[in-house]
Amino acid sequence: MARHWRWFFWGVGAALAAALLVLIFLGYQAPELLLDLANLRYCG
Amino acid sequence: MLQRTNNMSPSSPSAWRTPTLILVCGCIILTLSMGIRHTGGLFLQPMTGALGWNREVFSFAFAIQNLVWGLGSPFAGAFADRYGAGRVIVASALLYAVGLALMAVSSTGLALDLSAGVLVGLGLSGTTFAVIMGVIGRHTTPEKRSLALGIASAGGSFGQFAVLPIGQALISSFGWQAALFLLACGVGLIAPLAYAMADGHKHASGAGQSAGAALVEAGGQRSFHYLFWSYFVCGFQTAFIMLHLPSFAVDSGFSANVGMTGIALIGLFNIFGSFLFGWAGGKGSKKNLLMLIYGARVVVIGAFMLAPLSVASIWIFSACMGLLWLATVPLTNGLIAQVFGLRFMSMLAGIVFLGHQLGSFLGAWLGGMIFDKTGSYDLAWLLSIGLSVIAAILCWPIDERPVQRAEPKPAGA
Repeated sequence: MARHWRWFFWGVGAALAAALLVLIFLGYQAPELLLDLANLRYCG
Repeated sequence: MLQRTNNMSPSSPSAWRTPTLILVCGCIILTLSMGIRHTGGLFLQPMTGALGWNREVFSFAFAIQNLVWGLGSPFAGAFADRYGAGRVIVASALLYAVGLALMAVSSTGLALDLSAGVLVGLGLSGTTFAVIMGVIGRHTTPEKRSLALGIASAGGSFGQFAVLPIGQALISSFGWQAALFLLACGVGLIAPLAYAMADGHKHASGAGQSAGAALVEAGGQRSFHYLFWSYFVCGFQTAFIMLHLPSFAVDSGFSANVGMTGIALIGLFNIFGSFLFGWAGGKGSKKNLLMLIYGARVVVIGAFMLAPLSVASIWIFSACMGLLWLATVPLTNGLIAQVFGLRFMSMLAGIVFLGHQLGSFLGAWLGGMIFDKTGSYDLAWLLSIGLSVIAAILCWPIDERPVQRAEPKPAGA
């Protein structure tokens, strides 16, 4: 595979991974999780 | 990406079982097992509400789980070293899935203790760090080993970060019982992945040594004890902070959102920290990096106590602690491989992990007890700082050189 294509696919992969992490991070702001904050004390 | 080690050969001639595939499968297994385990606490409210239990019934089962996980790890590791990790992972995944399914139909505290406590704890022993790190360690070259262990550790960190909101979404959408069955199905996915982890354990370095001899050898090395107790401190700090940070934030007058974002930041930065320190462990001294981590925890916790408490300070603290969270895992496991060899790496890593779990148990329990007795967490924070200083000092004299063994005498000599 040509070098520029390899960089392109690595870039796309990194961007998708970053987007996934941001989405999960936003998932932590979901009202159900906030309401059940007390439960998280037992998640450790 | 990764090359096969030259001091071992796989037990199976199959060429498809490459080190990269083993690393990927190990990461997915850790993501599933660590992530699904992390959702346990989300079931507290729905289960206690539906079954009329108090919180103590539920929390006692999870305390048992943590202890069984720690106590079972050396045995799971020893079985993996003796019979191959693949079988141990499959059997453990089965126990884990059955434990979750039985948890869904538990109607008494004892049933919960046996399902969520004993079965899931045993399942975790064979599907988490000790066993998985052993396989990955045996299939990577010494130069790449620390990086590979760091990537695997980051996989477990990602699971802890990612599966928690998914678990809550399952409970909200399908109810807690169906959510438990679905999570049990998720654990079931570990079994086929274990096929790639069936490694050539008998050919690893130190093949002439028995498990008992490896135990005696490790027990006679001060470095092994230093690793055990420094890992104990790691468990103490992480359990205390994970369990009590949200309450600390709410008790300090902040909204639930602040504590929750703190937990999310720990999870997010944990992924990068695990990878970063794993990579750094391949470049420099692992014991120095462990000292750096424990020393940095002193600074971070101390600064958090001294600085005026604000939303920003909680989030900065969470991000910094996240970077240092599971960063000890690739370094500690990497040191075990480096000093004691690969043959009994899983068993020895399991014993050191027992120290981590004992620390976790104490951190969770003492944090609550100190708050109940004194009305604040100040003493618990100070205890964390003091223990971190001790851990950093303990890492200093660790001898990173491989232990010297007498060469076996040739037959007829």
